[in-house]
Amino acid sequence: MATLTIDGIEVTVEAGATVLQACEQAGAEIPRFCYHERLSIAGNCRMCLVELEKAPKPIASCAMPAGDGMVVHTKTETVKKAREGVMEFLLINHPLDCPICDQGGECDLQDQAVGYGRGLSRYDEGKRAVKDKNMGPLISTTMTRCIHCMRCVRFATEVAGADELGALGRGEGSEVTTYLEGSLNSEMSGNVIDLCPVGALTSKPYAFTARSWELKKTETIDVMDAVGSNIRVDSRGNQIMRILPRLNEGINEEWISDKTRFHYDGLLKNRLDTAFVKSSGKNAKLKPASWQDAFKAIKKAAKGVKADAYGALIGDLADVEAMFALKTLLGQLGSKSIECRLDGSTGQTSARSSYIFNTSIGGIEHADACLLVGCNPREEATLINSRLRKRVRVGGFAIANVGPKADLGYPVEELGNDFNHLAQVTVGTHKFAKALKAAKNPMVIIGQGALKGKNGAGVMASCLELAEKYGMVSEDWNGLNVLQHAASRVGALDMGLMAGGVDKVLGDKTEIVFLLGADDVDADKLKGKFVIYMGSHGDAGASLADVILPTAAYTEKQATYVNVEGRVQRTVQATFPPGEAREDWTVVRALADVFGVDVGFNNMGELRAKLYEAYPHFADEDVLDGHDTKGFATKTVMKMGKVTSIAAEFAGGYYMSNPIARSSNILAEVVANIAEQQGSKAHG
Amino acid sequence: MFKFIKRIFIWWEVSTLGTQWHTFLHGEKVGSDDEGNLYYKGKKKAPLSAGMPERRWVVYNGDMDATRIPAEWHAWLHHTSDLPPSEAPLETKAFETPHETNKTGSKEAYFPAGSPMSGGKRASATGDYEAWRP
Ligand code: SF4
Ligand code: FES
Repeated sequence: MATLTIDGIEVTVEAGATVLQACEQAGAEIPRFCYHERLSIAGNCRMCLVELEKAPKPIASCAMPAGDGMVVHTKTETVKKAREGVMEFLLINHPLDCPICDQGGECDLQDQAVGYGRGLSRYDEGKRAVKDKNMGPLISTTMTRCIHCMRCVRFATEVAGADELGALGRGEGSEVTTYLEGSLNSEMSGNVIDLCPVGALTSKPYAFTARSWELKKTETIDVMDAVGSNIRVDSRGNQIMRILPRLNEGINEEWISDKTRFHYDGLLKNRLDTAFVKSSGKNAKLKPASWQDAFKAIKKAAKGVKADAYGALIGDLADVEAMFALKTLLGQLGSKSIECRLDGSTGQTSARSSYIFNTSIGGIEHADACLLVGCNPREEATLINSRLRKRVRVGGFAIANVGPKADLGYPVEELGNDFNHLAQVTVGTHKFAKALKAAKNPMVIIGQGALKGKNGAGVMASCLELAEKYGMVSEDWNGLNVLQHAASRVGALDMGLMAGGVDKVLGDKTEIVFLLGADDVDADKLKGKFVIYMGSHGDAGASLADVILPTAAYTEKQATYVNVEGRVQRTVQATFPPGEAREDWTVVRALADVFGVDVGFNNMGELRAKLYEAYPHFADEDVLDGHDTKGFATKTVMKMGKVTSIAAEFAGGYYMSNPIARSSNILAEVVANIAEQQGSKAHG
Repeated sequence: MFKFIKRIFIWWEVSTLGTQWHTFLHGEKVGSDDEGNLYYKGKKKAPLSAGMPERRWVVYNGDMDATRIPAEWHAWLHHTSDLPPSEAPLETKAFETPHETNKTGSKEAYFPAGSPMSGGKRASATGDYEAWRP
């Protein structure tokens, strides 16, 4: 605790706070470039100078620890002069190219030059020029603009875990560069675009496509993985121009993954903009059709079909409203055969705490030991991985992995790729057991890879035993975590959309199958069935369909998603669905008329009212429903064998894990670039 | 007669009588451009002491439209160059096209294809997304 006087206002700050933080608390605005709340302190831009009584010269407030009894002035003539001086120095080598700079309009240097600069330049000499660096397909560089705040370098080493970025040379000759002139080996690299206070690092796909002030900003959430990162979608007309992170301390802090940031061009490609009906005859082909024709075809196919011959599969991007509507529709038709676990996971679902991330993402910071079981958080939930990394950096955190070896960007003790090792830890004979025993807040993260197939229940049982043994679940701590990777999954499990696995739903009895954006389905199993595909993108699922009903993507509808922690969040509509596409639940509502059943809602309000009635927790946005520690037990015995992680099974890899990402050219370029870099490394 | 009254009172169709009188008394012809506009400068190097530069002006041959003045004469009129192009002709590069007046507001004005002003029909919107076709 320290009490300071800032501009005559007395404030008390926590121990370890800086003068800059104290000034902020007192309501004094301090200009800055290099200081960033989430990065270490560098103190190399000198823009934050303030006057400290009894100090011989102005001090850099961001680097000065707040001391008791300090008297600080931020509005004096000296401070003004100091800021003007720093600004003048910064502008000496900064080019005057704001009109052609993508940062224009949201540039810290621009704003602060207006606010704190001299307004005139006295500089008459030549300006320095720096060669642009190659940072891969996502980041465009204009290094002449760099003011050497080193935010990007600190981010790369501290948060992203990629040490390739650094500064070479000194004084006027210093340059920020990737040492090997290649893209950053990180799926968080896009964040340096936001961090760079000037236009040195900007987004390559967004380059020269829009000005920041002409964009419509929509605050929504992301569905690329189950983390549910908070994002801001910037659109112009019906086109999404870029995606930026939004602050949410509980989930993504202020970062997002590259997949989240750069998948947006996929939203305009491969779109289903009209209904399709498969023509009859030998060379059956999907032909564009009107909604009426599509409904007619469905009606024809449904004639005489028994109640239990309907089945539905839920894709990874489906929203809660659509799933609920479909569930209601199937219920009215007399079928319960609806399944969301396309990856074949067979984990426990009896209690909510048995399939969500109980510790919560923010809670990771309080953990002191962690065991990963069959998961690769870097690829399955990038932001959770960066939280883990943050925790690792603080120190005193034992982390081990049972499962395939993976480079997570921080050191992990590899226990081996067999459930044997998990059993050993559970029994207590393994050396990692000691670390778990010593820990106050131990946690285990179980990936879908470990819960897949017949062994799922057994693995869950073993982990439950582990949790009990090492006190992972107590009054104020729940360290038992299941890592979901699909945005729709937790919401679907909340509604109990399980019917004993995909194979059962696609059994012989079933004649009509609804695919709600489900693309990872075995084509052979769909043979002989009438397939109705509802989705936004033409992908594997659409080509297998008999009737395609076009629906909206997640940026084109108001919808609910539940993230991996069980947090209910809603998307906000940014653009309109293309062509004839409609919001998913309205399509289901129309289908109800086709089948001649009553689903009991006609608009979103009625739908949500019914939804909340059935599952009240969907009404509470952005809350974690405490630590539900009781309520499930399982006695199945685990079989030994190889552990897999689901990340290894993403068709086409991490960047291609869903239809939107697969449609994106930017992400395709990233994949190609990674392949190229690996190729050149292999050849030396 | 009407023309004469117009010459007294308005300046936008042809130079006024006042200008003509002034040109006659004080003007010294310097040259003319391709369109036949005449360029004059003041006879006396008068009050140069006050920092006033030499007076230079143009008498249009027809329409009073400042954009009819070609670049080289424009430069001389505005004291960008000391010598008129008739004495020190400007070097022309191969890529330079002949001077044109501003066509805005005239019949020859440019309208993009599909503008109702050019009588065109707008091409139908092509859609800003790529649709999937099997
Ligand atoms: S590139 Fe940007 S973030 Fe990196 S040091 Fe230069 S100004 Fe700072
Ligand atoms: S913000 Fe303090 S030195 Fe840069």
